[in-house]
Parts: sequence; C-alpha cells; structure tokens
Amino acid sequence: MENIIRIENLKKSYGKNTVLDGISFNLGKGEITGLLGPNGSGKTTLIKIITGLIKDHEGQVLIDSQKPGVHSKSLIAYLPDRSYLPDWMKPVDAINYFADFFADFDKQKALEIMPRFGVDLNQRLKTMSKGQQEKVNLILVFCRKAKIYVLDEPLGGLDPAARGAILDFIVENRSEDSTILLSTHLVNDIESIFTRVLMINSGKLIVNSDIDEIRKTGKSLEDVFKEVFPYVW
Amino acid sequence: MFGKVLKNEIRHSARYNLTIYAVALAASVLMGLSLVIESSGIGVASCFALYIIGIITVVITLVSVIKNFYDTLFSRQGYLTLTLPVKGSTLLLSKVLVSFLWIIVGFAIMVATWVLIFIYVRHQTADEVSVIKGLISDMGILELLPSGFVVAQVIVVLAILGVSKMLTYVGFIYFSVTVANTKKFQNHPRLFGVITFFLIMSVTSRVSDFLTVKAPLTFFVTSEKAFFSFDIMGSINGALLSYGVGGTIFSAIVALGLLVLTGYIIENKVNIK
Repeated sequence: MENIIRIENLKKSYGKNTVLDGISFNLGKGEITGLLGPNGSGKTTLIKIITGLIKDHEGQVLIDSQKPGVHSKSLIAYLPDRSYLPDWMKPVDAINYFADFFADFDKQKALEIMPRFGVDLNQRLKTMSKGQQEKVNLILVFCRKAKIYVLDEPLGGLDPAARGAILDFIVENRSEDSTILLSTHLVNDIESIFTRVLMINSGKLIVNSDIDEIRKTGKSLEDVFKEVFPYVW
Repeated sequence: MFGKVLKNEIRHSARYNLTIYAVALAASVLMGLSLVIESSGIGVASCFALYIIGIITVVITLVSVIKNFYDTLFSRQGYLTLTLPVKGSTLLLSKVLVSFLWIIVGFAIMVATWVLIFIYVRHQTADEVSVIKGLISDMGILELLPSGFVVAQVIVVLAILGVSKMLTYVGFIYFSVTVANTKKFQNHPRLFGVITFFLIMSVTSRVSDFLTVKAPLTFFVTSEKAFFSFDIMGSINGALLSYGVGGTIFSAIVALGLLVLTGYIIENKVNIK
C-alpha cells in the first residue's frame, strides 16, 4: 500500500515540556486510522504538525512526498477540535468560502446536505448551538473530495445518538481511497470504522497496529486501550 | 487565487468599517436635512457628531485593521486561514493591500466630514464670512497666502505622507503581533507584542526624527509654489512650510522590511495555539 503520510522521528516541545518524543509511522492510502490517547497525550500537536499549523518541530513529516505546505493543504481536509469559522458567517457564506479556496469542494452537495441535517443556510453561526456548529464544520469538510481527512476529536461535544449519525456520515461521504486520521478518546464508539490504530501517551507512540491484528488476539480495541491507559477509565 | 484571497479579506474586514461609515452618512444626511427644514438645533448637533465621527472613523479603521489581522491568523479562525492552500506571503499581501484600502477610505471620510462641516458653517454664516473676507482683502493678507493650486499640492503631499505613516504603523503592528505568536514568546503574546511594537517604534522614531531634520530631502511650500528639494529643513528663506521627508522614507523602508520578515515568519515559524 502506498504511503501518503510519512512521519519520521518527530519531536516537539514547548519549553522544557516534551509533547512529542521521536514518533515515527506511515499511513497508507485508504486507511482509516484512529489516533487514540488521553487528553494531553500529544494528539492535537501531532495533528497540527501534519496540517502545517505548527512548523518548528524536529524530524521529518512528508505528505504525498512533500513537506507540509500549499500542496499538502490542498490535499488535507482538516476539522479542528473547535469551530474555526467566524461567528458572523452564515452556513451559505462558509460554503462560498470553501468553494473559493478548495478546488475539491462540492458546493452543490453542501447546499443540499446542510438543510437535510437541519441546518438553516441563512442562520448566523453565532446564534447556533455548539452541536449545530459542529455539524456545519463536519459537512463542509466532507463535501471536499479530499485525499486526506484529518479530524481532531470530531465527536467530543456530541451525545451518543448523534455520534452514530456522524460516524455514518463520515463513512458514507469520504471520497474513495481517501485516508482518514481521526483523533479521539471515545474508543468504543468508533472501533467499527478503523482499519488501523495509533495510541500515543506522553508524546510516545505506544501502539501502531492494524485493527485486524488486534482482533486476532481476541481482544477488542477497548480492551487494548484499557491495558495501555488503565488510569483513564 | 490571490483575487479570491483579496475578495474574502475585504468581506471579512468590511463588517467593522461599514458600520461607522453608515453612521457618518446618517449624520451627513441629518445635517443636510437641517438646512432644508432650517433647524439650527439638529444642524449643530449633527455638525458636532460629524466632527467626532470623522476622527473616530480613522481610529476605528486602524483598530479594525489590527483586530482583523490577529483574529484571522492567530485566533481560532487561524485554524482555517492557515490551512488554506495559500502561501503565507499571499495572505499577508492581501491584508496589507486591504488595510491600505480601508485607511484611504477612513481618511477620505474624515476629510469629507470636515468639508461638509465647512460647507454647513459657511452656509449658516454667509454674512459674517463676507465681512471677514472684506477685512482680509483690505489688510492685504490674501497676497501672502499660497494659491489654491499650491494648497492642493500641499494637501496631496501631506495625505501621501499621512497614509505612508499609517501604513508604517500597520507594518510595525503586523510584525509585532506575528513575532509575539512564535514559539519563544507565545506564552505571553500580548506582553511581547506590545514590547516588540514599542521597541521598534522607539528605535525607528529616533532615527526617523534625526533624518527628518538632517537628511537633505525636504518638502517646501512658499506663497508661489510647493516643491521637493535636496536641502535640509529650514534652509530656504521665506518658506511658509518645510518638512524633511527622509525620516518618513526611512520608516517606510523599515516597515517594508518588517513586512517581508512577517511573511517569512508566518510561512515558517508561527505556532497556532
């Protein structure tokens, strides 16, 4: 399988605090990878480096064989752990914004899907609930036919019923052969969609495994997660 | 792509400025209305409001330029802006050009409000104006004043110098805000932003003040003409006004250099929190 994300000996620290400590892994095309770890384990920092938001790190990061930059940003559809759209925008403004900047964005699809998910295209984001705002962000990201989707805690603020719907949405709407990197600490909700898992703790990569290999051992992902992070439960 | 960045930059920043422009327009309409209905109360109130609005417009324009820069690059919106498939230098150039546009509009509105006030006052005091005009004419002061063409030249040069000064401050501010959001300083970005700004300001001002007085490039105004000369300030006798522009040029060059550096930092060094 061709690797689209290659990370080699990645290190990042804030002052004396080491956040990532020599992480290496590759992600192949078409893989859906769960990035698991407790809060503060370095998941968001790793994601920010891959998306090009953090530049001063050690080690090598290659996206489609290139360092993070304009090319990688055109390939990656990124959903951060917070709403990144200005409050004054309406969903229709955000759709036009995405259509302007991302050649792979399907504007028509976004205009059709949002009302189906109960989003008023002309309601200002600042008057929407947090859940509604998350829906808008998620729909925008998955209306891109991106090669890579990087999702930072996309289920964090949702109730269990909504999580199921969102996961279905992700699986149905991802473009073919796309790679997904999804960070979460809600393991049991997402286990079914992963093909690979990475578990990090205190900046170190503890587990990098194909999900089938884990299943062969007779354990569930949740069991492995509990073994690796016993104090989280 | 640059056109799209520019279009969206204007859309984002317009919200802050258009409100104050609308208020200025409303006050102008009120003042005009007071002439029609001959209400001096409304006229004086709107005249005063317009004067204040004229000044506030420039201040709000500058604040909005800074706020828009910070919000779109270093707050949560930065997660979107800095993951667009666009070079950092392109983002910065669009911000500089749009801030330039708003500063020009802000100044134009300030000048327009003052012109409106002048017209209003002149209309209301037509009799007194003609008496004063007669007195000035009798005293022979008119011959000492520069012609309308010279005054227009002075206004144009002062406007260019004013806008250049404003853009210089914008360059300093953009650089300071950007440096404050790099790894070394981002634990206290506001503190380091302010320190960086005042450090650059104080060093540049001292050199700029020196060059304004000592550099041999000065704008002179006499009663006959306005012109640039390779002389230092105050060296031409009989000049009504002389202003050394060496300092302004120096500050502008420093600001330009800092903007290039800002583009590099955004591209290579900025960490979004």
